[in-house]
This record gives sequence, structure tokens and C-alpha cells, in this order.
Amino acid sequence: MTDKVRRASAGFSGVVSPWWIGVTALFLVVFFVLPIINNLLNTDQLATLAKQRPAIFYYEKLFTDPYYLRIVADTIILSVGVTVICIIIGYPVALFLVRHSGKWSGFIIFLLIAPLLTSIIMRTFGWRVLFARRGLLNDFLLWLDAIEKPIMFLNGPTSAVIGLVHVLVPFMVLSIASVLRSIDLQLEESARILGASRFKTFLKVTFPLSLDGIGTGFIIVFLLANGSFVTLLLLGGGDLKTLPLLIYQQFTISRDFQFAAAMSNVLLAIAVGCLYLQLRLIKRKGVKG
Amino acid sequence: MISVSNRFGYNMRVGFPKFWMLFYVVLFFIFLLGPIFIVVSISFTETEFVAFPPKGFSWKWYERFFEYEPFVDSFIVSVELAIATALLGAGLGVPAALAVTRGKVPYANTIMTFLLSPLSMPLIVVGFALLFYLSAIGFGVSFISLLIAHTVISLPYVVRTVAGVYRGISPDYEESAAVLGANRIQIFWHVTLPMIKPGIFAGMLFAMLISIDNLPISFFFGSADTNTLPVVMLSYLEHQFDPSVAAASSIQLIVAVIGLFIVERIYGLDAMTPAS
Repeated sequence: MTDKVRRASAGFSGVVSPWWIGVTALFLVVFFVLPIINNLLNTDQLATLAKQRPAIFYYEKLFTDPYYLRIVADTIILSVGVTVICIIIGYPVALFLVRHSGKWSGFIIFLLIAPLLTSIIMRTFGWRVLFARRGLLNDFLLWLDAIEKPIMFLNGPTSAVIGLVHVLVPFMVLSIASVLRSIDLQLEESARILGASRFKTFLKVTFPLSLDGIGTGFIIVFLLANGSFVTLLLLGGGDLKTLPLLIYQQFTISRDFQFAAAMSNVLLAIAVGCLYLQLRLIKRKGVKG
Repeated sequence: MISVSNRFGYNMRVGFPKFWMLFYVVLFFIFLLGPIFIVVSISFTETEFVAFPPKGFSWKWYERFFEYEPFVDSFIVSVELAIATALLGAGLGVPAALAVTRGKVPYANTIMTFLLSPLSMPLIVVGFALLFYLSAIGFGVSFISLLIAHTVISLPYVVRTVAGVYRGISPDYEESAAVLGANRIQIFWHVTLPMIKPGIFAGMLFAMLISIDNLPISFFFGSADTNTLPVVMLSYLEHQFDPSVAAASSIQLIVAVIGLFIVERIYGLDAMTPAS
């Protein structure tokens, strides 16, 4: 454009008035921020007449009663464990997607995203069939003579962890892949030309450069694992209790809303902590859309 | 860049040999898609119980789905809710995404982070907080409450998809139109909208899919009139275990896959991955 035109267009400040942001932001403030603040401050209003206790009672219960402390700890341990497994399982898939898939990359991304859009109930249903006492997995192991009688896979921590990894690993693959894609291939080529083996190049060049993707994936998967309860409800069998599952049970069975509110605030605190980490990570990388 | 590998004949691959990676990736996708395949095949079984491998072939569990009133009623609620969520999400999300991306507003990055922030909250927390808040201000357990809750969580998907497409379009077109004397509405209607249409469409589709599959929020707002399909499926599963849930899941899957194919055709999936 010539200078003259550029000057003329300088007065143009976007096709949409910035005031529109205000409308959308107001919607989110009224229906997202205020409800959460309300939940944070007014736990007392949920008290049923029968058992009216100050909110602090419930936080004390969560953090001093060994039973509930165990649940808070289990929630975090389970989320971290599932996230680490997702990194280990997902990393090679991301590497393959970016470096080897060629014209198949669209198809692979489709295969990764398709399960995300099936209902979570469908996937837990599938695992229940596979893990059943007379299910495919037990039949296979019996046929191999690896076991003598069917193993109870269902309703334990193992099946819950497998179910969660199954649901969340695509997020990890996509996070790692998006960073791998941005790595300058010349760096790897230089390392190879200077005599590094393909494994050494991976360990010293590719892997360190992809840590940002692992970081983003870690936060996304951790947050999702931290808030999920359907998988645990249908595959966990009740041995393994976490905060979201307990909120669900407090809401549907015990109907102690005050306690559920206190638990959801603890869950919220964990999420906000993660969000803070995410912002620091983005800042370190420089501003990225 | 001149490809060094061609000049020197080096093998520039890193990591493991391609064959073993391919082998691993195939195993990975068996793990990822196996359970889904199992559920779809079970939905066609002739037996009265869940059996894999399924025996025979029949449509009877699909017939059962359409005969069982709670399934059909909740399916209708789910579809209506998904469409309403996509429309409200687009109405709120598209203008905001355009203004934040290119509107010369201060703190654009912070505003964007705020618009995307519902993504980072545990859904069960959002649902629980909204239930009591909406009851307190008089909405209670209703379709409107469901619509508000679903819009809050789908909005980030619309904003991100539209902003992603808009960022890729040169501002020259709009500026040229402005120089030539078009007003904002004319520019939006004749220049911007035709170019960002695929993004709007994809974002709305994403909002629909997020809404139709949601359970952690919908179950808080469950009642005879407002139960969504996933909520009914969950309570059905807690009491009985028969192939009709497999049929219900498969119907939901078909809806999602058709949607995904349409998006892939007009927009490509690369740009809308959750991590991008």
C-alpha cells in the first residue's frame, strides 16, 4: 500500500467495535466469575436447616480428618500419575505424527480427535466389556495359559487409570506435536552432521526443545484428570475416591451441599494454581496467541 | 534452505527407526479405538445381554433406543440444547474474537486469556457453582440454565477457532474496503464474514459437540424436562447393563463423526486441535 492509503486507513480500528468484547466479558463475569466467587464466599447459604455449620468446619474436616486428607492426596497423586503415563505413551506418537506421517498426518489427527468426540460413557462402557470377568482380556489371558482363573480387573484403581489415560492421552499427543512441529530441523541436521547418533540427537536436541509442549500437555491433562469423575464412577468401583467423585456423591446421595461446596473450592484452588503455572509458561515462551 | 541431507546423503532422522515407531503407533491406535469399536459392534448383537464378540446381527437395540421414552426425550433435549448453545456461543464469541484479534484494544492478550479461562476450570466446579447461583437469581433447573452453563464452557472453543482463522487473513482487505468508503457493517458483511465463515462454522460445530457430550455440568441440571442424553445414559448404566446403551452411544458417535468430516472438508483439523 502507498503511504497515502496507509494514512487513510489508519483511522480504521477493526471491523467490530471493541465494545462487543464488553458484552461477552460481561456474560462471562455474570455467569462464570460471579458464580464461582459466590461459591467461594457464601458456602453458608447452602446450609440446610438440620445441620448448619460454619464453612470453616468443612475445610477443617477436609484437611485434618485422615479419611478426607487421603482423598485430597489421592486426587493429586492420581492426576499426576495419569499425566506422567500420558507423556510416556503419547510422546512417540507425537514424534511419529510430526516427523514420519507425511501425507497421513491429517488422517492421524482425525483418529486422535475422533475419540474425543465420542461420549465418555461409550468409552467406559467399552472398557467394562474388555475388563469383565468373562471379558475379552480374561479370555485371552486364559487362552494363553498366562492365568488360571479370571482376574478382577474391573472396579479397581488399575482399570480407572487405564480409562483415564485412554480419555486424556490425545490431548497430550496434540500438545507435544504442536511444539515438535515448530522445532527448526536445521538444529537436528547440524547435530547429525557433527557426528551425533540419532538417539543422542534426540536426547540432546529434540527432547529438550520439546519440553514446552510437555509442559503445556502436563497442565491440560492434569487439569482434566483432576476434574473428571465419570471414569472413576463407572470403572473405579469405589476403592479409589477423588474430590470430583466425592462432590458427585455428596450431591446425589448425601446431599450435604456445604461440604460439596468446600470440596469444589479446593478443586478450584488446584485449578487456579495450574492456570498460574500455565501463564508463567506462556510468558517465558514469549507472547503466543 | 538447501537440504543438507541431500548434499551429504546423511540420514537425518532422530529417535527410533521408522519401522518400530510405526509398529508402536499402530498399537497405540488399537488401544485408542478398540473400546469404541467394541461398543459399536455390541450395539448390533442379537443377544439379550452384552456379549463380545457379538452374536448375529440385528437392529433391535436401536429399535429399543427409539422405543424407550427417556432416551428419545433426552436426545431431543440434547439436540435442541446443542443448537441453541452454538447459536448463543457464536453470537457472543464471534464479535469478541474479531475485536480482540484486530480491534486495537489494550490488554488484548489478557482479555483473550480471560475469554478462554472457562477451559481451565474443572467442569464439575462450574456446574456446582452455577446451579446454586442460577437458582438464587431465579432461573433454577431449566432449559435456560442449561443453555447458560453450556454456553459458558463452549464459548472458548468458538473464540479460539474464529480468532485462529481471522489471524490468518491479511488486514489489507478490510483496510482497502475502509479506504474505499465502506462502513463497518458493510465491511463486516461483504468482506470479513465471507472469509471467516469456515471458522465460525467450525467453532459452532465444536460448541455443539462439546454440549452434546457434556455430563459433569448437565447432571446438576437434571429433571424430567431437562435431562440430556448423557445424563439418562449414566443413570441407565447405574441400574442395568444392556446393549441399548451401546446403541445410544453409537448414534451419538455417528452424529459426531459426520460433524467432524464436514469440518475437515471445509476447514482442516490441524488448526483446531485443543492444544493449539
